[in-house]
Amino acid sequence: MMLSALILIPLVGTVIVSLWPHHRPAKEVGQVALLVQVLSLVGAIVVATRFDIQQPDLQFVESLPWIDALGLTYQLGVDGLSMPLLVINSLLGAIAVYASAATIQRPRLYFSLMLLINMAVAGAFLAQNLILFFIFYELELIPLYLLIAIWGGARRGYAATKFLIYTATSGILILGGFLGFVWLGGTGSFNYDATLAQSMTLWQQGTILIAILIGFGIKIPLFPFHTWLPDAHVEASTPVSVLLAGVLLKLGTYGIVRFGLQMLPDAWAFFAPWLAVWAVVSVLYGSLAAIAQTDMKKMVAYSSIGHMGYILLAAAAATPLAILGTVLQMVSHGLISGLLFLLVGIVYKTTGTRDLTVLRGLLNPERGLPLVGSLMILGVMASAGIPGMVGFISEFIVFRGSFLTFPVPTLLCMVGAGLTAVYFLLLVNRVFFGRLAIALPSDKVEPDVMLPPVAWRDRLPAIALALLIVVLGLQPHWLSRWSEVTTLAWRSPSVAIAQPPSTTPPSMAGFAPLPFTPDVTDD
Amino acid sequence: MADFWMQSGWLIPAYGLVGAIATLPWSLGLVRRTGQRPAAYLNLVMTLLAFVHGVGAFRRVREYGSQELNWDWFQITDLTLHVSFELSRLSLGIVLLITGLSFLAQFFALGYLEKDWALGRFFGLMGFFEAAMSGVILSSSLFLSYSLLEMLTLSTYLLVGFWYAQPLVVTAARDAFLTKRIGDVLLLMGMIALSAFAGSLRFNDLYEWVKVADLAPLVATLLGVALIAGPTGKCAQFPLHLWLDEAMEGPNPASILRNSVVVTCGAYVLIRLQPIVVLSPIALDVLIGIGTITALGASLVALAQVDIKRTFSYSTSAYLGLVFIAVGTEWPGVALTILLTHAIAKALLFMSVGAIILTTNCQDLTELGGLSRKMPATTVAYITAGLGMVGIFPLGCFWGYTLGIDFFWQSQPALVAVFLLVNLLTALNLTRVFRLVFLGAAQPKSRRAPEVAWPMAVPMVTLVGVTLLVPLGMHQMDLLPPWRYINVTAFVLLIASGVAGVAIGAAMPLSQALARSTQKPLRILQDLLAYDFYTEKLYRLTVVGLVERLSLASSWFDRYIVDGVVNSIGLASLMGGESLKYSVSGRSQGYILTIVVGVGLLVLLTTWRMW
Amino acid sequence: MLPMTNTLSPNLVNDHPLQPFIERLLKAEALLPDTEINVLEVVGILKSYGVVLDAYAVNLKYIADHQFLLLFPFFKYFNGDITLNKLLKHWWHDRINYEYAEYCMRTMLWHGGGGLDAYLDSDEFQQNCDRAIQAKLKGNWLMQTLHRLFPDFLPEQVRQSAYYSGLGQFWTVMSEMFLTLSDLYDQQRITSIPEVVAHIKDGLVAAASLPITYSVEIRGDRHDLLPASAGLTFLMDTAVPYVEAVFFRGTPFLGTVSYNAQVQQISPDQSRFAYGALYADPVPVGGAGIPPTLLMQDMRHFLPDYLADYYRQGLRGDEDVRVQITQSFQKSMFCVTSAALQGLLPHPATTEVPAEQAANQAFLATWMDRLMSSRLAVVQLAER
Repeated sequence: MMLSALILIPLVGTVIVSLWPHHRPAKEVGQVALLVQVLSLVGAIVVATRFDIQQPDLQFVESLPWIDALGLTYQLGVDGLSMPLLVINSLLGAIAVYASAATIQRPRLYFSLMLLINMAVAGAFLAQNLILFFIFYELELIPLYLLIAIWGGARRGYAATKFLIYTATSGILILGGFLGFVWLGGTGSFNYDATLAQSMTLWQQGTILIAILIGFGIKIPLFPFHTWLPDAHVEASTPVSVLLAGVLLKLGTYGIVRFGLQMLPDAWAFFAPWLAVWAVVSVLYGSLAAIAQTDMKKMVAYSSIGHMGYILLAAAAATPLAILGTVLQMVSHGLISGLLFLLVGIVYKTTGTRDLTVLRGLLNPERGLPLVGSLMILGVMASAGIPGMVGFISEFIVFRGSFLTFPVPTLLCMVGAGLTAVYFLLLVNRVFFGRLAIALPSDKVEPDVMLPPVAWRDRLPAIALALLIVVLGLQPHWLSRWSEVTTLAWRSPSVAIAQPPSTTPPSMAGFAPLPFTPDVTDD
Repeated sequence: MADFWMQSGWLIPAYGLVGAIATLPWSLGLVRRTGQRPAAYLNLVMTLLAFVHGVGAFRRVREYGSQELNWDWFQITDLTLHVSFELSRLSLGIVLLITGLSFLAQFFALGYLEKDWALGRFFGLMGFFEAAMSGVILSSSLFLSYSLLEMLTLSTYLLVGFWYAQPLVVTAARDAFLTKRIGDVLLLMGMIALSAFAGSLRFNDLYEWVKVADLAPLVATLLGVALIAGPTGKCAQFPLHLWLDEAMEGPNPASILRNSVVVTCGAYVLIRLQPIVVLSPIALDVLIGIGTITALGASLVALAQVDIKRTFSYSTSAYLGLVFIAVGTEWPGVALTILLTHAIAKALLFMSVGAIILTTNCQDLTELGGLSRKMPATTVAYITAGLGMVGIFPLGCFWGYTLGIDFFWQSQPALVAVFLLVNLLTALNLTRVFRLVFLGAAQPKSRRAPEVAWPMAVPMVTLVGVTLLVPLGMHQMDLLPPWRYINVTAFVLLIASGVAGVAIGAAMPLSQALARSTQKPLRILQDLLAYDFYTEKLYRLTVVGLVERLSLASSWFDRYIVDGVVNSIGLASLMGGESLKYSVSGRSQGYILTIVVGVGLLVLLTTWRMW
Repeated sequence: MLPMTNTLSPNLVNDHPLQPFIERLLKAEALLPDTEINVLEVVGILKSYGVVLDAYAVNLKYIADHQFLLLFPFFKYFNGDITLNKLLKHWWHDRINYEYAEYCMRTMLWHGGGGLDAYLDSDEFQQNCDRAIQAKLKGNWLMQTLHRLFPDFLPEQVRQSAYYSGLGQFWTVMSEMFLTLSDLYDQQRITSIPEVVAHIKDGLVAAASLPITYSVEIRGDRHDLLPASAGLTFLMDTAVPYVEAVFFRGTPFLGTVSYNAQVQQISPDQSRFAYGALYADPVPVGGAGIPPTLLMQDMRHFLPDYLADYYRQGLRGDEDVRVQITQSFQKSMFCVTSAALQGLLPHPATTEVPAEQAANQAFLATWMDRLMSSRLAVVQLAER
């Protein structure tokens, strides 16, 4: 029942919050929602403390038959892949609720939707049944759509609809893939089973994999299915952006690793070299596009596209180290992008703009946002992979795990890591260095810039995330221990098709453009 | 407990870090009613502790021999990342140099920055800087060295950006970070490859691996070049040298360290990597090439600078070029000798420069003059530093030069010429600057020039003593070659090149305005050197331009092609534009209904077979 | 330093871009608008400035008199009163930032100008200086050798001491003037900006011919370095050079201007400097490389309650108090400048003689030229 609690707590919370008496003060709604989120965080931590890290298989499995006709079973479980993501979901969920304005319009609806997202994502990470996963995956879509469409910026209608259409398409493809599993796999059950695809031909596996890749590729998002993300981020409010970047994108990478890498090993191995190329394109494209952005939020959004590409690279390489790298990178991207969006949110709230062409000198100690600026420097350095922070060790593991399998794509992805420094340094230098200004200089005589102060309440979540980023960067083992055994136990299919393990010195072949099989295009 | 000093050697970098963290209450503005000087004192004390600890360990290392401290920091599957330190006479000696110079530079900063308010941040960064540097030197694992080099990159960025409201500082800090970052990313690539090939990243394990390594020549070359890229950036070598010039926008006390020990750290890592770089003869040649180009180019560029800090920062690049040559020719002893002696002399030179800037509010050589009679400490410091830098027997840099010339005498006479030329040009430049700044008539900005106060004078005079005592210290540590190995011809040539440089510098006409020559060819040459061979423009046209174009292209592609296709298909406009428009005003029921119906239909449609 | 001659032709007068300000000055008004808030800010800040100036002045004079030619003046900020408690407070940096006073002194010394600067280059001073140095170095062969090797080293230090003393004497007068102003405001005998300006102008005029002298005692003997016979006076030899050096020229702040010689952001001609108090941008105050932060920090401790309350009502409350102090301070300095200009007018402001009117106009026009790029326009605004 422990895992069900992680779903039930936010579900009950949703009900309580939405029915909270109207005569009570509105700010209580937020407090109740925060309490629920903290409870669910505590729940996730309790699960984590009981989690046996020596055990590679699913733990705390719960199973209840639901609709037999559909092959739908209420089956939950958690392993080293989903455990850290569960905690991150609850943590960022709590931060998002905490960071929501106390004066938000229609708080009951807003906070119940927030809790609903938390519940749906937890459910998706816990689900051990394809249909159950799909239900949760779709369930998360509606509240997020509403959060953007109702509390978003000026073009919220456009962004929300775009998000909805993309994600719905993603859902259709995923559902199609799932149905394919069962039809082609020949079993009547939708329960997760790594052997499900064993009886399929490579062609069948490949078809399912393509559906799943595009489906989740939209969610991650990967080039060229990414354009909904910058729009959604720009229109979404800060807490929603934190959730979107920190948690919801992880559903995509989780799906690719879980359903692609784990459940379709043969097709995965076959497609792996192409996936590595896809990762490179995504990384470089996201990073280059980020450089040209003038909206801080858009820049962070494009940076997400780049950083999620690393996960695809590592998943494609599929060595034990690389798979571990995917988990580390998911968590570290969640923390870092969460931090960055929080900080951009504070800047926007204080100055009324996110425009890189007009904001200047926010580090100013008296009238600027010096602490926010310092945290921003820490955040962008973490994102750029400066050692001592969690971003570095994740990227190191990703690159180290992928290098022998895909040397050239790995090196190209590292160029992306270099580009991260370029755009984020541009951001920090433009916005935080120089003379304080929040508008273009004009000939008019104007009084000196005056910005409202930033409350400690707003700084607190950012400080907490920053601390976490540093602590996990110095003690990455506290993060990797959850997933180590699980990822080790996975068989690593593409090692067989790619380079020999590290004991033999690599030859020139390792540096040949791409080690894919020559007859790929014929299929 | 006898080897407490050694066992706890890891504390040496930790002191600086603790000092840095201890400044947070001031630098974050939590302490507002009183001033920030306690932060400075704290860091001075921590640096002194690090120095004392270093001395203790240095004395023990004779007794106990070198010692390695090792921790498995991160262990997962077949990958182990070590945090390990090696305490040897050499590494501890350099650490003493770093902490000692760091102490003097911070002391100097007490005076130089006395009218600056953000002392907490400055000294915190200095502590962090020092911690990273001593860590790099003590580290015996490439992983740790790389991590700490990145810390150096970060703290250089923050130190150069100390006066972040000043427009040129903004670009200088950015360029310092990005240029070094190019080197760092390449080094990271090399490190990832090494880690994958060799397993462990500890230097000793890597040296063992090199013996059995069997890499294809191309792989070995790429690996070698990637490995030397990091130090190339750190040591401001061509083509990654631009940042050091710009970094002179930073506060002078940080420049003291940057021009002496920071570059030393980069070069030290290179020396540690050299046994791995030897896998590729091409990479070694690249090293020599980079070193030669930088040594000669930077020496010439230094001659054309009108800014007192910049002219000497180019000289730093030039000396590090000599170090690169020495490493490339596999004479690490020469490299180390040049590094250490140059570091002391250059630190002193920059202290003297700092005193000049503070007194005259000016960095322009053409606006100074006549300071020698009024500023004894500064003048003596400048002269001593100058003597220490050029090959004057028996002061510091003489030994590096003479060893290098001696070793190259037979095999690579061209490199002998490079060494002699750099010595000549350095002597010439030092003489030129001396005449402009200290001799001649006072100009308006140097008319009233009282000598600096004791917080700056004391470290300066101390370092004068140290510079003069360097040969004695080298003798004590058996670093001097025995007399019979001194090549007399080389000796004479070296002295002669220095004397020639001084003579040319003394004789050459110096128009105070340093006006551009009226002769066209000469003017073109002057401009070429003054603007550093237009490297910045070259960058702007190539790398920067390329990235800029690519990013604009991707952004355009994203907006008009990727997104444009979607929008033109009309999906978004169809739903977002019309049917939902009326409900934007806030009627959420409409939304929910639409979504629920839509999703329900989708699910129904796709699962209809199941029902 | 002051251009006293009329170089403009009479038919060019009265069309200066800042003509309204010229007319205000001639009508005994100020460069600063006369509003209640401005009076509160100016008087309040001058009260606090008066307290700080007094501390600065006492210390400057102490250093000049008692730390004469000391190579290691460890306790120069202690004014001779060295106790453990004071030492600990000093180390905790819980003290007046005397460094700022020295910075102003060095700025004045560096820019020069006025009779004091000229006297320091005279033979008479050279001889007095030599005598004092010889007396001081008696028996100290090490310093004597150094003096022989670097013959201008110690005389330059003595010149600096003379400026320590000169600025100390100037500030003593100013401090008292500001504190009296504050008392009059508290008694509601001064309620408008023109009255503030008149008070300062009267104070300057009254003190104009106070002698500036300096002598040190070495081993019981008194050595005159700036004797009364040199004829140095308060207004022309300290006040005017001070206004020129600190209000107008200043020195470029490392935190906002690049010293890079190649980009030539700093003029080679000091007289074209415009980094002084009337030009400075208040927003970066509190950051790195902005020396006036020290002064603002010192003044925050002595704000009268009414001003501290006013600051606290700002959007940022106490958080940006140093910037707010700078803004008020700049306003007050425009008042002092108004007073100084009115005091230095070649002819009475009320003159009816056309030639004298033209001379006044021309005099003010040259100063207005220099104020064109100052913060004059911004201090006219009513908003904070």
